Amino acid sequence: MAKKSGVNVTAAYTAEAVPLVARDAAADRDEPGGNVASAVAVRHLSKSFGPIAALKDVSLDIGSGEIRGICGENGAGKSTLVKILTGVYRPDAGNVLIGGAAVSVATPRQAQELGIAIVAQELSLCPDLSVEDNIWLGSLHVPFLHKRPDLRRRAAEALALLGAGHIDLDTPVTNLSMGERQLVEIARLLTRDARVLILDEPTATLTDIEIERIFAALLAVKREGRSVVYITHRLAEVYAICDRVSVLRNGELVTTTSLKGLDRSALIELMLGRPSDEMYPEEARARGAPALVVEGMSLPGIVNDFSMKVHRGEILCIAGQVGSGAAEIVAALAGLVHDAGGRVTVNGRPLKLGSSVRAAQRGIMFVSGDRAAEGVFRRLSVLQNLVATRLRDHSLLGFLRGGALRKAAAHLAARVGIDRRRLNARAEELSGGNQQKLAFGRSIERQAGAILLMNEPTRGIDVGARAEIYRLMRGFCEDGYALVMASSDLEEIVGVGDVVITLYRGRRIGHYRRSEVSMHRIVADITHPRETTP
Amino acid sequence: MLALVANRSVRPYLLLVIIAVALWIFDRGRGQFFTTATAFSVLQQFATIGPIALGLGLSMIIREFDLSVGGMLSLSGCIAVLTGAHYPALGVALAVLCGLVWGAFQGTMMVWLRLGSIGVTLGGLLTLGGLAYVVTGNLSISYPRMDVALAVNNPVLHVFSLRSLVALAAFLAAAFFMARTRAGRDVYATGSDRRAAMVAGVRTAAILPAVFACSGMLAALGGALLSYSLAAASGVALTDALVPATASAIIGGVSLTGGKGTPIGIVGGVLVLCLLSAGLNAIGTPPAVQDVVTGGVLLAVAIADAVDLDPRLFAMRRYWAEMFVRPAESVRSADTSAAE
Repeated sequence: MAKKSGVNVTAAYTAEAVPLVARDAAADRDEPGGNVASAVAVRHLSKSFGPIAALKDVSLDIGSGEIRGICGENGAGKSTLVKILTGVYRPDAGNVLIGGAAVSVATPRQAQELGIAIVAQELSLCPDLSVEDNIWLGSLHVPFLHKRPDLRRRAAEALALLGAGHIDLDTPVTNLSMGERQLVEIARLLTRDARVLILDEPTATLTDIEIERIFAALLAVKREGRSVVYITHRLAEVYAICDRVSVLRNGELVTTTSLKGLDRSALIELMLGRPSDEMYPEEARARGAPALVVEGMSLPGIVNDFSMKVHRGEILCIAGQVGSGAAEIVAALAGLVHDAGGRVTVNGRPLKLGSSVRAAQRGIMFVSGDRAAEGVFRRLSVLQNLVATRLRDHSLLGFLRGGALRKAAAHLAARVGIDRRRLNARAEELSGGNQQKLAFGRSIERQAGAILLMNEPTRGIDVGARAEIYRLMRGFCEDGYALVMASSDLEEIVGVGDVVITLYRGRRIGHYRRSEVSMHRIVADITHPRETTP
Repeated sequence: MLALVANRSVRPYLLLVIIAVALWIFDRGRGQFFTTATAFSVLQQFATIGPIALGLGLSMIIREFDLSVGGMLSLSGCIAVLTGAHYPALGVALAVLCGLVWGAFQGTMMVWLRLGSIGVTLGGLLTLGGLAYVVTGNLSISYPRMDVALAVNNPVLHVFSLRSLVALAAFLAAAFFMARTRAGRDVYATGSDRRAAMVAGVRTAAILPAVFACSGMLAALGGALLSYSLAAASGVALTDALVPATASAIIGGVSLTGGKGTPIGIVGGVLVLCLLSAGLNAIGTPPAVQDVVTGGVLLAVAIADAVDLDPRLFAMRRYWAEMFVRPAESVRSADTSAAE
C-alpha cells in the first residue's frame, strides 16, 4: 500500500528533475574498453581479520544505471565490502574493476577520484556550515577563494536533480530535517561526479514520506546512468527500489538475483541460510491487570489528549511516523519530557511525570532505539553495563562485591542471550543487536508489575537479531511485564503488537486488537487519517 | 531586531552601544568619559588583548582551547627585547617565528598523539612562562630604543597607534580569511563536527597545527609590540592577559562548542571589555568594582548563549508556578488550553 502510493510521488519528482551537467555523461561514454555494461565490478575479493574471514572470494558486477540491493545479516560482510570499495580497507586478494579495468583503491581520496562515493549511516555534514559549503566541503576541485558563482550553480543543479530544489543554499544544515540532510549528502556526491553511489542504511532515521523522496532521488540518479549500491535491513525497500539484489552470508556471496519471482520469505531464507522460522512469536496468551493507565496526556506542541491502558503480559504498540509524537509519548512516560501533563497511574497508584528517577523507582524502564546516545555505556564492559542499575544489590557497606556482580551479570547475559564469554568486552565492540540485548538485560527488574518502554527497539538491527529481540520481548510478557513500544516500522508493528494504537500528528487515530490489525489500516491511519475514530 | 540580537557577530556591538550609553549616563555630563583620551586608551588596551583574543578565539572555533597564549605573550616580549635592540623588526620577526614553531608543535602533538588541547597548552603555558624567566635571568630587562617605544605608541589620527593599527590589520586579515577562503571554511567545518569534516575530505590533521600556529604567532606579535611599547620585558608582567582574552572571545560570540564565531565579532568582544575597563576608569570607579561589572557582563552573555535557553526558562517558570503560586492541576489545564 505504502509503496503503491509512493510510485505517484516518485513520478511527480522525476518529472521535475533537471539533468545535471552534460559534461559528466560525455565523460562516461569516453571511458575506454572493457565491459561497457558494468560500472564497477569486484573479482574474487577476500579479506580476513586475524583468523576471521570477513569476505571470501566475492565477485560482483554492478551495471551502469543499476540500483543494486545488498542484503545480509550483520557480520555477513557487507560493510567490509563497502570499505574495500571506498578505500578504507585493502583486500587480501582479488581486485576492483572500474569500466572493466583493474584499479587500486588504496585511500578514500582515491575512491573519490575514481567516482566511488558513500553515504554512510552517520552523515558527514557539518551542522554550522551552509548547504552550499557542505556540498563542496572536502571536494578536490574547489579553489582557494571558494565563493564562486559556478560552484553555487552546480550545487543548486544537483539539489534540483534530486527533487530538493526548495532547499536554500545559504541555510545552515542544522536547520534541515534528516531527510533533507540525506539529500544534501547525495547532492555532494553528485557534484563530485560519483558514478557509483553506495548508500548504507539510508532510511533508518527517516519518515515514510522522506523515504519516498530519497527513492525518487535515487531513480533520478539512475536515469543519469549512474549506479547505486543500496544496503538495507528493510526488505520492503529492496523490493521497492532495487533492480537486482546480491545476498551475502558469512562473507560469501550466496547469489545475485532479479527480484521478480523472489518472494520475501525466500529472500530471508537466502540471507539466513535456513528456512525463516517464526519471525514473530505468537500473541500473548492471557492479559493481566492493567499496569499502566494514561489519561489525557498532553505534550505541548506535540501530543494532545492521549489516553491508553496497558495490561500486564501484553505488548502495546504506538504506531506513528517520525514526528507523530509516538516516540515523545514513550519518552514522557520514562520521565524525559519536562513539560508533560496528564494523569498516569502505575499499578493503581498515580505517577507524576517529568522525572526519570521517579519513573525508575516505580518500575518503569526505558530501552531507547538511539543506542549511541541513550542506550548502553559504550566504553564500559558488557558486565558493567548489565549490572549498572543494580549496584546497590551487590555491594557491602558501599563497596562492590566483585564475585556477586559477575554472577549476576552472567545470569542476565544468559537471560538475554549474550555469550557469557563476552562479559569483559567493551559494549561498543558488540553488534547493534547485541547492544540492544544489553539494554534489555539492564532493564530486567525483579519488582512485580514492571513496565518496559521501548522506542524503535530494532532500529538498524538485522533480521536475525530482530527475531531474537522479539522473542525476548515476548519472554518479558510471560514474566508479567507490560510492554509499550513506539515504532514506525510497519512489519514490526503488525508482527509484535498485541494492541496497536495509531497516531497522526499527536492525535490518537485508531485502536486495534491483534486480530483486527492489518498493515493496510495502519498505513492509512498514520498517513491519511480518517475523520472518525473507531 | 530579534534577529540582530541572535546574530553572534552583531551582538557584541549592541552590547558596546549599551555600555557606552550607560557610562555616558553615569558620567552625568562631567565630560570625563567621552574624550579622545578614553578612545585612545580603549584602543591601546585593544592592541594588548586583541591579538591574544583572536588566537584564542580561532582555537575555540575549532573546538579546542589554546591556553599557552598567556605564556607566549611573556616569552615573545622577552625575545623581542633581547634580540631587537639593533633591528626592531628582527626582534618582532624572531618572536613571531617562535610563536609559529611552538604553536605548530603543540598542534602536531595533539594530532599525532591524539591529545586534548587543554593538557598540552596548559603545559605550554607553564613552560613558556618559565622560559621567559630563564631567558631574562629573572630580571626585568629594559629595552634601550626609546625611539621605537615612542613610535609604537604615538597617536595616529588622534585615537590610533601603530600598535592598535597592527592589531586591527590582523583582525581584518583574519576576517577575510575565515569568510572567503576554502581554508577558513574548513576551519569552521573542523569545529562544527570534526568527524564529519574528516569524512567529507577536509584535512583536519593539517587544520589543527595551522590554527595553533596562527594562535601562537598572534600572541607573539602582540607580546613583542607590547614589550616595545613598555620599553621593558620580564617574566612576571604579562601572563594575566589570558582571562580577559577568553572573556572577550566569549562576549564576541565564539561558542565553546565550536564552529561558531567570527573575527569581527571578537573585535566587538574585545572592545566591550576595553571600553568597560577604560570607561569605568575614566569616571573614577575603583578597580575591584570594575571586575564585578565585567564579570556580570560575561555571565549575562554566557546565559544568553545557553543552547536551549527558551525551554529551560519555560520549565523553570512552570516549576515556580507549581511550587509557589497555584496548585499543580490548575496550571496544567491552563497550559493545555493555551496550547489548543
